[in-house]
Amino acid sequence: MAFEEPTISYNGEIREISLGKEADVTVGGETCYPFYLFEGKMPHRPVIAMDVYDSEPEEWPESILAPFADVVDDPVAWAKKCVESYGAEMIALQLVSTDPNGLDTSPEQAVEVTKKVAAAINVPLIVWGVANPEKDRVVLKMVAEACSGENLILGPVEEDVYKAVGAAAIAYGHTIAASTPIDINLAKQLNILLGNLGVSDEKILTDPTVSSLGYGLEYCYSVMERIRLAALTQEDERLQFPILANMAKEVWKIKETKLSQEDDPLLGDQTKRGILLEAMTAQLFLLAGTDILVMRHPDAIQLVRDFVDDLATDN
Amino acid sequence: MILIGENLNVMVKKIGQAIKDRDAKPIQGMAVAESEAGVDYIDINLGPAKKGGEELMEWMVKIVQEVVDLPLYLDTTNVKAIEAGLKVYVNKQGKAVVNSVMCRPERMDAQIPVVSRYDAGMVALLWGPEGLPRDAAERGVLATDILQRAVEAGVTGEDIWVDPIITPVNVQQNQLLECNQFMSELDMIAEVLAPGCRSTCGLSNVSNGAPDHLRPILNQTYMIMLERFGMRSCIVDAFDKDLHEVAHGKWPKITAVVNDVVDGNEIDMEGLDEEAKKYVKTARVLLGHSLYSDSWLEL
Repeated sequence: MAFEEPTISYNGEIREISLGKEADVTVGGETCYPFYLFEGKMPHRPVIAMDVYDSEPEEWPESILAPFADVVDDPVAWAKKCVESYGAEMIALQLVSTDPNGLDTSPEQAVEVTKKVAAAINVPLIVWGVANPEKDRVVLKMVAEACSGENLILGPVEEDVYKAVGAAAIAYGHTIAASTPIDINLAKQLNILLGNLGVSDEKILTDPTVSSLGYGLEYCYSVMERIRLAALTQEDERLQFPILANMAKEVWKIKETKLSQEDDPLLGDQTKRGILLEAMTAQLFLLAGTDILVMRHPDAIQLVRDFVDDLATDN
Repeated sequence: MILIGENLNVMVKKIGQAIKDRDAKPIQGMAVAESEAGVDYIDINLGPAKKGGEELMEWMVKIVQEVVDLPLYLDTTNVKAIEAGLKVYVNKQGKAVVNSVMCRPERMDAQIPVVSRYDAGMVALLWGPEGLPRDAAERGVLATDILQRAVEAGVTGEDIWVDPIITPVNVQQNQLLECNQFMSELDMIAEVLAPGCRSTCGLSNVSNGAPDHLRPILNQTYMIMLERFGMRSCIVDAFDKDLHEVAHGKWPKITAVVNDVVDGNEIDMEGLDEEAKKYVKTARVLLGHSLYSDSWLEL
């Protein structure tokens, strides 16, 4: 008997979502598992957004501060540098200073920074809160209003804030990153709720929560993989959204990126180690189905771009 | 479907207090009420009952048997307390059932001889040395082991009630599919090892964690499905009238439509009324055809 290649029967596809004011970037549209180009289409390559903090980062290891040393105190300059020097396809503005357990800066200040950054760049802008429902509800709502028509990507939109932020996104034309804690059933439920609220299916991204390599990544990977499986082979319409992985902050806070070589000689060169951990974490999430990666180190980003080139080129 | 009433439970506030006070009245009242509600067995659940468990189970069995003739499930993890209960139990309308014997060597070694000695029944709980079995095959391995040991010790097939362990659909949908799979294989296993062997389950676990108002439809639909898979009994709230009706075949239309989904027959959704549609959707979730979410009925 001749060998028959096993084939997967796909009956669903991921939605195509346009991001940015002028629809500058489109993600999604897959009709097959990640990079299974022999079975279907992946019309848009995964894109990489670069992290920008709204205030000078605390506790970042020197190895990740170095590429941004001249701009870390100025989010606008930082964002411009990412786009102009490192070719960032998107920017992820992390509103860390709004955290009530930290600097607790005002929503007005967050609005001002966001507006300035949005005006300074010509790529889509992700605006990320601090996962504190009380604060995020106010901050993201005000940002949405002040940046009307910018088609920002607002996150994290968790179940606790989806009504307020979802309504603001509808009113002012933004996209939502629906965040759930590593649980496929909750991910589906939140997407249903957003749909019931009236958020258009063209305006939803899924954030299933991610962690760093070595810190429970396999759980996140598995949930992401199952989301893709349900979307593509079980026609689960409420899971057919592009996936966003806000992962850089997870990688650069772990011990293995923070410890210097002097502290632990066995771990080897600190900079190289951090870059590799970030790149490997990103690659794994790409294989699980991520469409948008939030990353930091320019060298890690380059590694991932090469990886995507290799996988996405037909040879 | 045989029903076992779950309401005589130390976790029920009124019962817990009565147990503490050794006040027979509320306990006997509950037993009579369960019996009148039409259950086939009454489960006496004392929890871990670490302190004074023996004396307590003895007392419970005596006072419950003073007022009802139904057979009892004796439910505690305290092995000695179970034995104390069996000692005083009088077989009026059936044997007492030990709930439960886990598939761990030390538990089986300790409990199966007791079951045999007192000519009781036993729930063979498929909880292994490594906890919850990961799939249908592991359930099969555990079942084979415990059935073999029980029969060798002289327990007859029909006195063994296999509990495959039902998991909540909202967080362990895949596990539930494995449980379904195992149930459809149990007869095959039992035929060889322990002919006549029966099965039981904690039905409401399937809806644990789901929104309260949606738990009944999950429980009802799953009961219908389990019956199709060969389940013989369920431990339930004795006062859930709908479940009694389902168990006694009084919902023929709903039962038929759920069975159609289970059997893989084509369903004409347009031709169904709203009520029936809900049961079809629920059955599809319980069979893993669609992924669970709290809003499954709205899709």
